[in-house]
Amino acid sequence: MSRAFALQARRFGPVNWIGCWSLLRRQFKNGFSDLHYTILGPVISNALYLLLFVIASSSLTTLDPKAIVTFIAPGLISFAIAERAFEVSGANLIFDKHERIHFDWLMAPLTPTEKAACFALSSTIGGMAVGVAVALMTLLFVPAAVAHLGALLFFALATGMMHGLIGTLLGIWAVKWDQYTALHTFVLLPLAFLSGVFAPVASMPETAQTLIAFNPIFYLIDGFRYGAIGEASADLRLSVGVAVAVNAGLFAWVHYWLRTGYRLKS
Amino acid sequence: MSSPRTLPQALAPRHYSTVNWVGLQTLYMKEVRRFMSVATQTILAPMVTTLLFLAVFVLALGHAVDKVAGEPYMAFLAPGLIMMAITQNAFANTSSSILISKIQGNIVDLLMPPLTPLERTVGLAGGGLTRGLVVGVATWVAMVPFVPVGLAHPGFILFHAVMASLLMSLVGVLAGVWAEKFDHMAAITNFIVTPAAFLSGTFYSAERLPPLWQGVAHANPLFYMIDGFRYGFIGHADGSLTAGILVLLGANAVLLWLTHRLFATGYHLKA
Repeated sequence: MSRAFALQARRFGPVNWIGCWSLLRRQFKNGFSDLHYTILGPVISNALYLLLFVIASSSLTTLDPKAIVTFIAPGLISFAIAERAFEVSGANLIFDKHERIHFDWLMAPLTPTEKAACFALSSTIGGMAVGVAVALMTLLFVPAAVAHLGALLFFALATGMMHGLIGTLLGIWAVKWDQYTALHTFVLLPLAFLSGVFAPVASMPETAQTLIAFNPIFYLIDGFRYGAIGEASADLRLSVGVAVAVNAGLFAWVHYWLRTGYRLKS
Repeated sequence: MSSPRTLPQALAPRHYSTVNWVGLQTLYMKEVRRFMSVATQTILAPMVTTLLFLAVFVLALGHAVDKVAGEPYMAFLAPGLIMMAITQNAFANTSSSILISKIQGNIVDLLMPPLTPLERTVGLAGGGLTRGLVVGVATWVAMVPFVPVGLAHPGFILFHAVMASLLMSLVGVLAGVWAEKFDHMAAITNFIVTPAAFLSGTFYSAERLPPLWQGVAHANPLFYMIDGFRYGFIGHADGSLTAGILVLLGANAVLLWLTHRLFATGYHLKA
């Protein structure tokens, strides 16, 4: 009579679906408890940005406020997706580390790929939720615009995933909230603000244009805007290429850190 | 049998003169050290975001704006942005200080010491005032290389910076006392403070607005702060300067009185 079978390690199929589902739900439980912060905040601040641009452009310039808002709105939606996606994984991870409850998912029988995918996916979904809310808000200012649905969705998802992965990296690396907010304010925010959210790249000085060509966020926003209003500054194939390459690179990086346990299992 | 003894001098209640200077200074320094110890977040971060705002608006609209109030758009925009940074940070300092103390339970450190309600008000508001001014100076220094900001009336700059910073730190005290959760504070910031700052004439000249938005601007105390402050830099004001000075003095007096009442009665603090 052998009990070997009962004592064996539990086996999963290629993917531990139950584990993935649990980790995803855990991420959302943290993220959606305060709808004030997560949905209403971005909706209101972005509505204010648009209102500001309408008032400023119509009172100070001869530019057509409609054209300006039409241009800015997709950028703001994309930016809102990015901010939220970054926050879902980044803030959650640092919180977990501080409370020392990251063992909950470190110990769980999940492969690094599964963990990385869950972090990326939860961020993407969180970002999309805010993006949809902000998009609905923009309807107060501009008519709905979907020029290329495929591109719109692709770049929205790519933006969410990329910032979710950046948030994950930062969450793993940062020890203090200080470091997290510092990198957000001094690196991510400038990259996003100076990426052509608010102004067509063509209208900028030459040096600025050259610099922006190295900013991956520019391609994501540009592609998203192409999906919404059909206008793009960069070659669409290049934007898709950058989105795929950056996401693949970041995913590999997150995977590596999760596999080696860098700053998590020390 | 022991004979009745008088209490030694040392055990009698301690007496202070009119003002408990040591206590006041301690509270003030605590408030200042609180933000100085995380200066990256409290000074450098607002400085950078303000510069980003400047860049964004100049990039998006600057090329199409001829002149505002006789000045290039950048020179018009800069003082308003500095003022926005001052007000937001003065508010953030006092409101977060009180709210976090309440949530962590160390608000007793503020309530128990032998300070009068007025001393508490001054100590807390002084901290917020200092943060606002420090951020204002930092932002101004950061802008100087990019923007030709003049100094037409330094007295107006100083007066409006101090009045605005004080006003918003007092509003922050009220908000901090009232709020019970971070949610409440987020709501105040999202629904009141940020809209008031955005729609105050920082980014555009109220003179050129349609009547509706002009009315909105003139009903907003932040409009007078920014307008008078900007007058100090470029020598041009959209509204009446006298009205602005009176509004600021009046608003600060009312807020000081209100804050004093809250601390005296212990509203939301000594439940």
